[in-house]
Amino acid sequence: MMRALRFTIATAFLIAVPWIVAATVPGQQRYVLHVLIFTALYGALALSYDLVVGHVGSLSLAHPAFFGIGAYTAALLATEARWPFAAALPAGIAMAGLVALAVGVPMFRLTEHSFAMGTLGFALVAQIVATNWVDFTRGPLCVTGIPKPQLGSLRIATLPGFYWTGLAAVGLVGLLYHGLTTFRLGRAFHAVRDNETLASAASIDPLKYRMLAFVIGGAVAGGVGTLYVSYVGVLCPGELAVSLSVNLLVMLFLGGVGSLRGVLVGSVAFTALPEILRMAPTWRMVIYGLLLLIIVIRAPDGLEGVIRRRSRA
Amino acid sequence: MALLEVRGLTKRFLGITAVDAVDVSIEAGELVSLIGPNGSGKTTLFNCVTGYMAPDTGRVLFHGRDVTGVAAHRIARLGVGRTFQLVSVFPRLSALENLLTFLQQHQEESVLARLVRAPRVRRYEAAAVERARMLLDSVGLGARADAPAGSLSYGQRKLLAFAAALMPDPGLVLLDEPAAAVNPTMINQMKEQILGLHGQGKTVLLVEHNMDVVMDISERVIVLDHGQKIAEGSPEAVRRDPKVIEAYFGR
Amino acid sequence: MSDLLEQLLHGLTLGSLYAMVATGLALMFGVVRLINFAHGEFYMLGGYAFWYAYAELGLPYPVAGLAAAAAMGVFGLAYERGVIRTILARTWHVQLIATLATSITLTNLAILVFGTQPKEVPTTLSSTIVDLGGVRMAWQRPLVLVAAVIIFAGLEWFVTRAKLGKAMRAMSQNREACAVVGVDVQRVALATFGLSAALAGGAAALVSPLFNIFPDVGALLTLKAFAAVIVGGFGYVKGAIAAAFLIGLAESLAAGYVSYAYKDAIAFVFMVAVLLVRPQGLFGRRIGI
Repeated sequence: MMRALRFTIATAFLIAVPWIVAATVPGQQRYVLHVLIFTALYGALALSYDLVVGHVGSLSLAHPAFFGIGAYTAALLATEARWPFAAALPAGIAMAGLVALAVGVPMFRLTEHSFAMGTLGFALVAQIVATNWVDFTRGPLCVTGIPKPQLGSLRIATLPGFYWTGLAAVGLVGLLYHGLTTFRLGRAFHAVRDNETLASAASIDPLKYRMLAFVIGGAVAGGVGTLYVSYVGVLCPGELAVSLSVNLLVMLFLGGVGSLRGVLVGSVAFTALPEILRMAPTWRMVIYGLLLLIIVIRAPDGLEGVIRRRSRA
Repeated sequence: MALLEVRGLTKRFLGITAVDAVDVSIEAGELVSLIGPNGSGKTTLFNCVTGYMAPDTGRVLFHGRDVTGVAAHRIARLGVGRTFQLVSVFPRLSALENLLTFLQQHQEESVLARLVRAPRVRRYEAAAVERARMLLDSVGLGARADAPAGSLSYGQRKLLAFAAALMPDPGLVLLDEPAAAVNPTMINQMKEQILGLHGQGKTVLLVEHNMDVVMDISERVIVLDHGQKIAEGSPEAVRRDPKVIEAYFGR
Repeated sequence: MSDLLEQLLHGLTLGSLYAMVATGLALMFGVVRLINFAHGEFYMLGGYAFWYAYAELGLPYPVAGLAAAAAMGVFGLAYERGVIRTILARTWHVQLIATLATSITLTNLAILVFGTQPKEVPTTLSSTIVDLGGVRMAWQRPLVLVAAVIIFAGLEWFVTRAKLGKAMRAMSQNREACAVVGVDVQRVALATFGLSAALAGGAAALVSPLFNIFPDVGALLTLKAFAAVIVGGFGYVKGAIAAAFLIGLAESLAAGYVSYAYKDAIAFVFMVAVLLVRPQGLFGRRIGI
């Protein structure tokens, strides 16, 4: 009862944020909402990544590629073929999911380090293709003029509108994440992650579950990519940079890999903090790199682990 | 028809022939031990039979059905349970959850039924929990059902792994060194458990180094040396076989 | 015809670079079973060290080159002591993420310190183009190849004759046995990292006159070196060297005859193809360096 009440209040609060922001920091409205939109999108992306890394234990570095594939699919369909958002979004999701399926089959035949390197290589190749296939992707000239989403008569063009869209996205992804990682499916994922040999002895097919997490994670990443380009309006090959994987890893490990709350906390900390601290991008990456290094060695459970240990003691 | 049949199984790694044209035939309900000096290929044979490795030549038949090279999870699904030489559990799950994990693939309700938690699903889940508790009690871990498996002692984890393998009620149980690295009380407990399985009509094949255990409980003993089967028969016959004595002591 | 010869020479130069970097990676994996994702950054930092010694301090080429190698050797030792030692006992996930994090930190520090503009370090050998029967090249290219061969020969002598080298080889084959017979495994691990980093630094000194130095150069290099290690059979140094030359040649020929823009994808495609067809690498799973 208490839990449902807290949840409702929290949701109401989150929905009311645009008005709260307008009331509390009127001059900074646009900026704050922009940061929040990015936080929501990153949160959804991080959750989709955590399915692969945190729950099934596959250290994939291919996620930026799926984000980019969804983004480019939607961007090109919207600008070249004038597809409406309602069609471009599922197309972005489907394309990313299909590529994940195609890439996953050979990749999962590799073990451990080779898998990580193979997925990294794929991500690098995806960026190379995006940069060089100028006829198709416009390369460094970027895809411009991506229209704002139009769902029937509803046009999402204002910052609060995008904020609510982002909120809905992270909410839906969170719901999906929860459903996939609890109950029997969650147990199967975790069995594969924690002891693949034993999982086989328990009749659980490791390949099937790794592929499932990988494809769903990739598809969701593609969906986030679609939302991202609809908001930003421009898409350049730099969006597929491998450093996105590092950012995601920081979010996951900072907040708590394998935990819904942890990953969301990590996303907020990662996106909001640097904005608050006004860090230059390069300094940001140095600090993230060091932070990730320290966290993964000293506190691999992240903030979530620290909180859990405190509450137990 | 034998329950498990291995015909001419050969497995090589890096120039070494770990298993060399081995034939094994095990009838339903038998309690057979597989022994041999270190490196004689016992665990490799186990791995080939249970699908963790594909043999280079030879066949593995389960209930007359060819399962050579079939993946481990599918062989497990056919009703083969096994434990591992290095005791293997899911450390983050409780003992109870460990056992439930072993049953879930055998529970065939549709995703939809599970989503709405139809009464039939709830009955299955309750039955699964009940079975798990029963098995845990039978190995003496009833009190630790909710403890994380990682916090159990080595011997307790061995018992847990044993109970988990039995959860889906397999017809064939393969145990890899069940008596290794545990104290004498635990060894007796293991012997009782294994005899218990035999009493239930299950077929048991175990790899074991502890000769007392082997001689005590086995109906039949198979001896491997350097990947080849060098002897087979009753425990007493094998004990006196000069080839076996030479394999163990003649070097 | 001369076109083809030029491409082949370029391929051998690339191959030498990849081989030197891959050797370090294979050594580290062979001796301590760890994949160092920051290995490309050893090359990058070595390049900057060389630039500083040669272009800023004005040291003669050989001295600057050795200085760069030595500087990276020291860095490698510090890296092993500071980072690697804390993650040696951890899972490969932790090792991967930790070394990846180091890679990002070093790359961005380099951007902060040196800026994103590539540094050009031309030497007399690299900037004078000679024409040998239709083939146009700079003497730096054969120098790279010759130096690489000398280095590999030296390495072979080291692991067969020198005490430390023999210990490295022994550790790569059976680590537990080494600890039992009294080999100082920590010291050997430390030395391995120093050596690997120095190799990368030396490679940078040899190759930087031909290819510019910039902060991001490490990422692709790590991937290609890793591809060579995988294709050659994990931990088998000679295999990695052979594979690295194959990749270098394939890349050069692809750049010349197929498409320049996609040349970087060659190594990756090669790697995945080999892994799918022959997962134990082209030369099988040989143990040991």
